[in-house]
This record gives sequence, C-alpha cells and structure tokens, in this order.
Amino acid sequence: MLGSFAVLRKQSLLGDAISHAALPGIAIAFLLTGAKDSNTLLLGALVSGLLGTFWIRGIIKKTHLKSDTALGLILSLFFGFGMLLLTFIQKQPNANQAGLDKYLFGQAATLLESDVWMMAIVTGICLFVLLLFWKEFKILLFDADYTKTLGFNTKIIDILITSFIVLAIVLGLQTVGVVLMSAMLLAPAAAARQWTNSLSIMVFLAALFGAFSGVFGTAISASQNNLSTGPVIVIVASVFVLFSFVFSPSRGLLFKQIRFIKNRRDLQLHKTLAFMYNIVESHENISHPHAIKILNNFQGYTKGTLQKLVSKNYVVLQGNMWSLTEDGFKTAANLYSQQTDNNE
Amino acid sequence: MSNAQIEIQLIASLVAIACAIPGTFLVLRKMAMISDAISHSILPGIVLGFFITHDLNSPLLIFLAALTGILTVVLVEYIQKTGLVKEDTAIGLVFPALFSIGVIMIAKNANDVHLDVDAVLLGELAFAPFDRLLISGVDVGPKSLWIIGSILVITVGLLFAFFKELKVSTFDAGLAASLGFSPAVIHYGLMTVSSVTTVGAFDAVGAILVVALMIAPAATAYLLTNELKRMLIYAICFGVCSAISGYWLAHWLDASISGSITTMLGLLFLAVYLFAPNKGVIAVMYREKQQRTEVSLLTFLLHLKNHTEERERHVNHLNEHINWQKVRSKTVLELALKNNMIQLEKNIVSLTEKGEDFTSQAIDYIITNEDAQIEDMKDDFFLFRG
Repeated sequence: MLGSFAVLRKQSLLGDAISHAALPGIAIAFLLTGAKDSNTLLLGALVSGLLGTFWIRGIIKKTHLKSDTALGLILSLFFGFGMLLLTFIQKQPNANQAGLDKYLFGQAATLLESDVWMMAIVTGICLFVLLLFWKEFKILLFDADYTKTLGFNTKIIDILITSFIVLAIVLGLQTVGVVLMSAMLLAPAAAARQWTNSLSIMVFLAALFGAFSGVFGTAISASQNNLSTGPVIVIVASVFVLFSFVFSPSRGLLFKQIRFIKNRRDLQLHKTLAFMYNIVESHENISHPHAIKILNNFQGYTKGTLQKLVSKNYVVLQGNMWSLTEDGFKTAANLYSQQTDNNE
Repeated sequence: MSNAQIEIQLIASLVAIACAIPGTFLVLRKMAMISDAISHSILPGIVLGFFITHDLNSPLLIFLAALTGILTVVLVEYIQKTGLVKEDTAIGLVFPALFSIGVIMIAKNANDVHLDVDAVLLGELAFAPFDRLLISGVDVGPKSLWIIGSILVITVGLLFAFFKELKVSTFDAGLAASLGFSPAVIHYGLMTVSSVTTVGAFDAVGAILVVALMIAPAATAYLLTNELKRMLIYAICFGVCSAISGYWLAHWLDASISGSITTMLGLLFLAVYLFAPNKGVIAVMYREKQQRTEVSLLTFLLHLKNHTEERERHVNHLNEHINWQKVRSKTVLELALKNNMIQLEKNIVSLTEKGEDFTSQAIDYIITNEDAQIEDMKDDFFLFRG
C-alpha cells in the first residue's frame, strides 16, 4: 500500500536499502537488552532504518553523489555493520542469540499471535494516517513545489511518509526477510500502476495484489515441503506484475503490440488507397477498371489490404481488374487533404 | 603473522582492487544499484551450476552466475524500455524475483548438500586459505586467491586497453557513439566485468561485501577528486586499506571478516563525508555560512548607501531596521570593519571610500546577474572572509 508512494516517488529501491539498514538496529537492540523481545528488536530496526534513510537524504543533498550511489552505499555499509554485530553476538555467551538471523530471510510460519496483532494494529494506524493526510500526500507526490506554495510544510509530510514506509518495511521483515522485502513493497504497486492512473485506485489495487500474493504464496508454500514462504510470496507477486505488464488494457505490452499492428495495417490500407487514388485521378471516369498488376510494385499492397478495401466498399473487383467506387474516391481524396493538413 | 593471515589479507586486498575498478565506473554511470541487483540475482546461476557439476568450485559455476548477472541487466533494461516503470523499480522487481527462484531451487533440491544461502550471501573469508589449489600435487596457494587474481588481471588488462573508450562513454555517451564506439558494447562489457567480479569475489567475501567494496571506495574517492585516474587510484587505496584494517578489526573482535571490512569502509566514508576539503558536509556547511554572512554584509552596505540620515545609520537602529538578531548584526558589523568598508563615529556607521566602491560594483553585479563575477569581486575587496 505504502509502496505506491515509493514507486511514484521514484524511491523504489529505498525499500531495499531500508530493509538492509534495519539489521544493525536489530543487533544493537539485542546487544543492549539481551532479550529477544520482538517489539524492542523492531524498535531498534525502526531507528536504524530511519537513520539510514536520513543519511541517504543527507548524502544526496549535501554532496554530488547520486541517489543510487547513496542507496547502495548505505545499504551495504549498514548491512555489513549488522553482520559484524551479529557474528559478534554469536560469540557471546548468551543462550538467547539463536534465531536472530531469522530476520534475514524471514519466517512467516514462526509468527506469534501477538506479532500478528501488532501488525494489524500498525496497518490500521497506517491506514488511518493515510486517509487523514490523503490530500497532502497526494499533492506532495505530484507537485512538490506547488505544495510548498500552498503553505504545507513539505518537510514534515515527507518525513511522515518516509517514516511510514520504514515502519511497514520493518514489520514486513519478520515475514519475508531482508532480501525480499523490497519486492513486497514494489511488486504490488508496480502491478497496480499498470491498471490505473488514479492514485486512490492504485493504492487500493496495490493492497489487494499484496494481500492476494500473500495468501497464494502462503498456500503454495504450505502445500509443498521445503518451500519457505517468503520467496514463494515474492514469486507470486512477480507473476502478478508480469501479468499486469502484459495484459493491462491501456499500458500493457500485449495491447500495445496489438495497437501497434493495427496502426500499421491502417497505414498500409491508407497507402494503398492513396496510390489507387493517384492512378484514378488521371482518368476521367473514377470507376474505370485497372489491372491489379500495376499495384504489385507498390509496397503497401497485399492481397489482404485489397480484400479489406473491397469489404469496406471502397474498391470493386472484377476478375483481374479493380476499380475505385464513389465512396472510395471520396475517402481517398479526404485522406489526401488530411495528410497535407497534418504536414503543414 | 601466520601464513594463513597473510593469505587472507592478500585475498581481501585483491578483491578490494578488483571491485574498486568496475565500481568506480558504476558509480560514475549512476548504476550503483545494478551491482546490488547482480550480487543477489547470481544465486540461481550458482545453484544451477551446482546442480550440473556438483562442485562448488567449478568454473562453470562462475560462468553461469555471470550469465545470470548479465541476464539481470538485460531484463532490467527491457522492463525499463517498455516504459511501464522507472529504472529503479525495474531493478527492484527483477532481482528479488531471481533471488527467490534461487532460494526455492535450493530449498527444493539441495537441502542435504553444502550450499547455504547464508554462505552465498555472506561468505566466509576466514576459511578461504583452507581451500587450496593443487597443481600436480604441489600446493600453490588458496584457490580463491587464484580465482580473484586472474579476474583482477583480466580487469586491469581491459581497463588499460579500453581506458579511453570507457572514459568517453562514461562522461559523454553521445560523443562516444559519434566517435564510433558502440555504447552498448562498452555497457555490456562493463556489466560482464562487474558480474564476473561479483561472482569471483562472492565466495571469498560474500555478496554484500562485494557491493560494499564496489560502491563505497568509489563513492569515497568521488568526494575527494573529480579526476577519473585519481579517483580510480584513491578507490583502490581505500579498498585495500579497509580490507587490511578490517581484517585486524575482525581478528580483535573475533567477528565476521566481511562485516568488519564493510564497517571499516563505512567509517572511512563517514570521515570523508564529514571532513572532505571541498565536498564534505562540514566544508559545505562552512561555505554556506560564509556565503550567508557575506550576503548579509552586502545587504547592510546597500542599506548604508541608500540612507544618508543619521537616524537610519545608528548601530542600534540597524538591529531593528534590517531585522537581524544581535549576534548576526555584530558579526556583519565586525566583518565590515575588518575589511575597511565602514567607519564608526559615535555609533554612527558610514561607508568608507572602499565600501562605496564595493557597493556600487555589487549593484552592478545584481543588475547584470553574472554568477562568476561576485566571487572575483569578493576576492578583490575582502581582506577577511565571512
């Protein structure tokens, strides 16, 4: 759901960066408290995720490094630091340490009921805030400068959105793990984007796709042995995206290709008609028959186009001869004038 | 220092150099995230190679993994070309999908073999020296040393051979194309080198460290210099330094080597990020402050020039009139005094001749609005900067 905003803000990889950056937070929280209470760990993840995000912002703003460099940098550095801490923890004499690395890959099956409640509550809060600040979010998304002139504090709204993205990511970590979180954030939104141009529908669709891939993914992984949930969910989500890319009515590849072919056919048809018109023009009688042969040299001509012209009643065929009808002559004349109009 | 320790440091340094070279170009070409994507998506290639050969060290593994790396790049570009989503979204979609396929393949088929996701992702440098390469019974050193060494030789060779082409196509793709270098060939060449390096390095140091070693030294070097050759050299130095110091940090903490190398890289970057002479945060902030004071000074002098009546030029009045805080007006006043632009008589401020001169030039500047001029002018007039 929040992924929609990330996708539209061209910050898609932020999710990836944040999910990696959350790792040292988890490790530090564990080091400080020594307990494996999921709430404190999540708090740590949240803090370090936010820290990473704002450092990325700082790098982009204050230096000439580009956003992709900043993202990759923070991602790998934080993650490496997290690994250092994790291996450091493993050497500590503490029985609790096992299972910290489940945050790396995520285990939906190990979720406790309390975790689920926690997620539900946070999702509810997200939804509430989203609805509350809907107008502000939307306007910031599409025209940041305009928002500023309207007197909104863009910085606060920006921080609010970012914080919620981070929160969502951190929560999701438990389910699908660090590596796959970015896909969970992106895939539903990218799929939803193909079906609509309206933000509200897109958010709704993204939530729907996300939920469906979650349900299907879990179902598939439960039906087979040895299938971890996270990857399956991601694969399902990717299939959704692929499906959307190909089949969405207005932006999809399939329909684009169909439109493309149709346009080309139309163009060929027009070319043939215009060619015929040029021939016919030199005769007084427009329905004077001509041999089909003379069309053979012409590129746009095929039997198919001729058939189509006949079916459109522009041309009459008589054995090896064709002649333009009244209707066809008029259309061709109009076609010609239209083209010159366009050229001017 | 034992033999193994030297070997580990040697491997780490070689990996650092091998990564720094393509990394520099990736950073300059704004494709840093591609390296992250490649490092994840080579997993299915490795798994597939493992199924075919049942040997973790076979060259086929590296070949297949490099192939998946290139496949990732091609897929990302294809998705991007359809115009349905932006490039970063395309990256974010492709690599988790490929990675998931890899994880599922492992889970389904290779449960009982030694092929661990953790091992692929994180790598373990400490064991690298134990995996020796034997040529006709003679121990010639650790295997990963040879793998990464040969990759490095190839990379360096390619770098010297195509330095000019790479340089031109990185900074001006249009010019490169018009000069007759195919940008696509160079692009895919670079991608291939990156993939191969990633793959070669991953089983020594792990995927994440590869990304860190590619991006971090290059980014750090980019903060210090604008020249390509120097940037390459700096990046290599940073890489090697953090590799060696990282090893000792890990030794001291008894923790993962790749993690501590990354941490050293992070510390190095943080230091440069803060203290770099021209582009560091502190330098930028200092410059911003300087400029702010100087702009205030200009406003102040203009105000003086416009008002001849004493009431307007009283020190206290300025506080209220231009609406500055006490401290700020004091700094501005002092700066102006130090530069001999004003003189004070019984708390009445007036412009000196030099101040007059400066102000009228400043007005000229404001009217014509040519950027370069003001800095020269400041150099001419200021004895002390803000």
